[in-house]
Amino acid sequence: MTQSHSKIVKIITKKDLDTFVNNLIKNEKHNVVGVKTKGIKFVFGPLENASELRLDYDVTILPPKKYFLPPYETLMDFSLNKPFNVKESDVAKPRIIIGVHPYDIIALEQTDKVYLDSQKDDFYKKRRDNTIIIGVDIQKVSENSFAASMKTHVTESGFDLMLTYLGDKYAVTIGSEKGKKLLEKYAKMISATEVDIKKIEEVRKNIALQFKKKLKVDKEEWSSVLAANYDHPIWEKRSQKCMECGSCTMVCPTCFCYDVKDEVSIDLKEGSRIRTWDGCLLRDFTLIGSGEVFRDDIGKRYRHRFYRKGNYLPERYGFVACVGCGRCGIACLPDIADPCDVINDLSHFERSENTGKFFIKQKTEVAEKGTIHIPQSATIKRTERLTEMEMFFEIELDDKKPLGHIPGQFVEVSIFGVGEAPISVSSGPSSSSSFEIVVRRVGNVTSRLFRMKPGDKLGIRGPLGNGFDVKSFEKKHLLLSAGGIGIIPMRSLIQYVVDDENRKKYKDITILYGAKQPSEALFIEEFEDWCKIDDVKCELTVDQCVEGDCWTGCTGLITTLYPKIKLDRYDSENTVAIVIGPPIMYRYVIKCLETLGIPAKNIFVSLERRMKCGVGKCGHCQINGVYVCKEGPVFNYNDIKDLPEAFE
Amino acid sequence: MKTRVAFFDFSSCEGCQLQIANLEEEILDLIEIVDVVSFREVMKEHSNEYDIAVIEGSIMRPMDEHRLRKIRSRCKILVALGACATTGGINKIRNQWPVENVIKEVYKDADIKDNEFFNAFQTKAVNEVIPVDYYIHGCPINRDEFKHVITSLALGKKPVIPTYPVCVECKKNENVCLFELGKYCLGPITRAGCNAICPTNGSPCDGCRGILSKPDVECVMEILQRYDLTYEELKSRCTLYNTNVFNPKDGMTLVRRSKND
Ligand SMILES: Cc1cc2nc3c(=O)[nH]c(=O)nc-3n(C[C@H](O)[C@H](O)[C@H](O)COP(=O)(O)OP(=O)(O)OC[C@H]3O[C@@H](n4cnc5c(N)ncnc54)[C@H](O)[C@@H]3O)c2cc1C
Ligand code: SF4
Ligand code: SF4
Ligand code: SF4
Ligand code: SF4
Ligand code: SF4
Ligand code: FES
Repeated sequence: MTQSHSKIVKIITKKDLDTFVNNLIKNEKHNVVGVKTKGIKFVFGPLENASELRLDYDVTILPPKKYFLPPYETLMDFSLNKPFNVKESDVAKPRIIIGVHPYDIIALEQTDKVYLDSQKDDFYKKRRDNTIIIGVDIQKVSENSFAASMKTHVTESGFDLMLTYLGDKYAVTIGSEKGKKLLEKYAKMISATEVDIKKIEEVRKNIALQFKKKLKVDKEEWSSVLAANYDHPIWEKRSQKCMECGSCTMVCPTCFCYDVKDEVSIDLKEGSRIRTWDGCLLRDFTLIGSGEVFRDDIGKRYRHRFYRKGNYLPERYGFVACVGCGRCGIACLPDIADPCDVINDLSHFERSENTGKFFIKQKTEVAEKGTIHIPQSATIKRTERLTEMEMFFEIELDDKKPLGHIPGQFVEVSIFGVGEAPISVSSGPSSSSSFEIVVRRVGNVTSRLFRMKPGDKLGIRGPLGNGFDVKSFEKKHLLLSAGGIGIIPMRSLIQYVVDDENRKKYKDITILYGAKQPSEALFIEEFEDWCKIDDVKCELTVDQCVEGDCWTGCTGLITTLYPKIKLDRYDSENTVAIVIGPPIMYRYVIKCLETLGIPAKNIFVSLERRMKCGVGKCGHCQINGVYVCKEGPVFNYNDIKDLPEAFE
Repeated sequence: MKTRVAFFDFSSCEGCQLQIANLEEEILDLIEIVDVVSFREVMKEHSNEYDIAVIEGSIMRPMDEHRLRKIRSRCKILVALGACATTGGINKIRNQWPVENVIKEVYKDADIKDNEFFNAFQTKAVNEVIPVDYYIHGCPINRDEFKHVITSLALGKKPVIPTYPVCVECKKNENVCLFELGKYCLGPITRAGCNAICPTNGSPCDGCRGILSKPDVECVMEILQRYDLTYEELKSRCTLYNTNVFNPKDGMTLVRRSKND
């Protein structure tokens, strides 16, 4: 707060403030919005006249996030007949928002951390760049707010101008060059005196005293309180009353998860890709094609919201992702959503030193590659039906450049009018302009892919995610275990390590592959070729044979293959084990690997979760505090073995 | 060949078919992408060859059941259209009373014995008789959702119908929550997809798109108390579409949502 001395402060009369606002409204370049009434409540909305402005409001129904991440937003328009006539949607014209409270300004600064990271959200960025924020210090404290406890009732940054009501006049603190210019151009004002500056500080101190709702735990302590109470009965108990209405996430200024869907016009000629607010309390948030729902229990979903705000994001970014606005407390009918109440309930419980146990650091920093939403155009070169359920595709990017992936990474395959699906790259890295994928038919995108032919156009975003650190595997034995369609991403790694140039960098390679039944085993011919390479051992097993199958190989689960492997201690320390398969497989296979003496730090897995954005924004893929699309899908087992949601 | 679509009506006000007929210009686009082979609301011709059957209305009589089974056997995809078809809708109000009493009350002493047109049973939703592939909920339906379902089917994809409640859309519209105005609203437990049209226009949601989950009784009682509402208020909200959920006769029969709901 002492900093306000260093900022330029002006004084403006109430009447001149009205004139200033009216001048802004008249100046057509900007779309001027501000706080006004809606029935018994307040909202941000377009201003026609300064007289509508209610700077004495307590809290608005929705935070100003609606201007940066609108509830419904067109990411792009496309034509279905000419799939690559995509038009990136225009973002709104420059806007001035008047009357933003400090906690909402801080919430926007937090959103910046997520949306303006190394994979910038272009739409969000454009809106941030062309919006001017005129804040106002709180004049009336909302009954549900605990902003003072969160130290978000005042702010020194994030605004272009900040208004403070001084009884008969307003002080205007200048926060940016843009704000200063605006003020100079449209307002009549005088410089603030020492007395005025003192008064501002008094006003701000006084605001803090008006909050009735208070935290019993400092916000710095949330992370450690939550880390210690993950299994506390409070989550189950409080969630009993949850109606799963999602309101707590919709109204929250620091909830920014979203869903994406394609809508097409009724003549099937054009369409748009729309993003819309989503929330982790809603059950389908984590639903995947196979019908599986991660965090299926309402108790777990309810808990997730508090952990995301109080532990996961704090560990990742260093701030508590709740600004104490109290909106969730107002919106939640059974009154169970307020973080202040929950944390206070936990206040007399244990703290944990290890606050970061639900979070790991991202390994590969994915390079910024143009826009994050608009796919690159690509063409199907070759297709091959592998089994009843799986189809192979060779795809070439239309710019004829190599995809540039590393094994274990994935791409978002986009079909306009249908949607996107994350699909692993199945071919090894190469300098050729095409790459390969294998798709299992489960839902809309995958079924549509099955009907596509060579020459058809697709969209590709990627490569995305964290792949295998093949360098760190050098001079080691490799034990590769693939179950079911886990062989699809594994093939990329195998192709890389058995490549003439790379083979000598690795010691013995053992490939274990378990399929449900012979008719479902993929890449059998390639498998046989791999077996012929020096010091590459391969074992294939099927869970069962149905009558009529011509099968001479092993039968039994993949776990029956491990007892055949003999490793001495030296070997197990020097073996890297990689496991990719359906969720159920990991627990059993990892037990076998542990029996072989392979340390957890030498085990790598690739996990699947529901994905939408693939770039750490939409929130769908989270395992506790970890984004599978960024820190994964490839993980070191040692990093995630203690994440409660990893192998549920 | 274009996908052939046929529309059929059972016991309903035909309001939902009217919503479609009211698509006006867009109806021309619709017949560009599909062949409408039967649609009493807008055309005289009728054909028994179709891929998609769209059923409006509830099933009230054995003869309806028979006709519905026949339709099911002829089509590949069956879509239930409107609350009457998807949940039984307002036609289910009468299920509170025994059928005989209802018939007596309506037809008094008229001679309807042995006339199959008057041979009614308890109202059924379409899926209580035959399997339904897709639902277009609402009373009446939302035209945009109808377009979404038809374009999806024409493109060979599964339509996506929201599984989240009306509150989500209501909040996106930034409405003042009706509870704060002293009204009981079924938004938190009703399937969204109507863009929260009722609360957005100031009236509470009556749950016409079907109930998603049933919150536990204790929780509902607390909410009533918190917002100074009466049990009467809750009851009146449920008499239109959800007498089966909140039974006004036996008091509250709310139960905790089950995992598979
Ligand atoms: C990192 C990763 C790699 C994958 N690699 C492959 C692969 O190589 N081959 C393959 O056949 N499948 C793969 N999958 C699974 C594949 O993404 C899903 O089967 C696919 O998204 C289903 O989309 P759909 O539109 O056909 O199904 P729908 O059921 O219509 O799905 C609708 C939406 O739900 C989401 N979704 C559904 N299932 C999944 C899922 N399993 N994972 C993530 N999101 C999902 C998507 O956002 C999708 O757009 C992978 C998944 C992940 C996360
Ligand atoms: S969690 Fe609640 S109090 Fe915290 S920022 Fe979100 S809406 Fe406001
Ligand atoms: S607002 Fe309350 S009832 Fe609704 S989802 Fe959130 S916690 Fe549950
Ligand atoms: S659902 Fe409603 S509008 Fe549609 S037919 Fe039935 S009563 Fe009429
Ligand atoms: S008015 Fe109804 S639908 Fe809207 S938020 Fe309130 S309870 Fe939910
Ligand atoms: S708000 Fe409720 S009653 Fe109104 S249309 Fe939607 S689901 Fe039906
Ligand atoms: S955050 Fe969107 S898919 Fe990972």
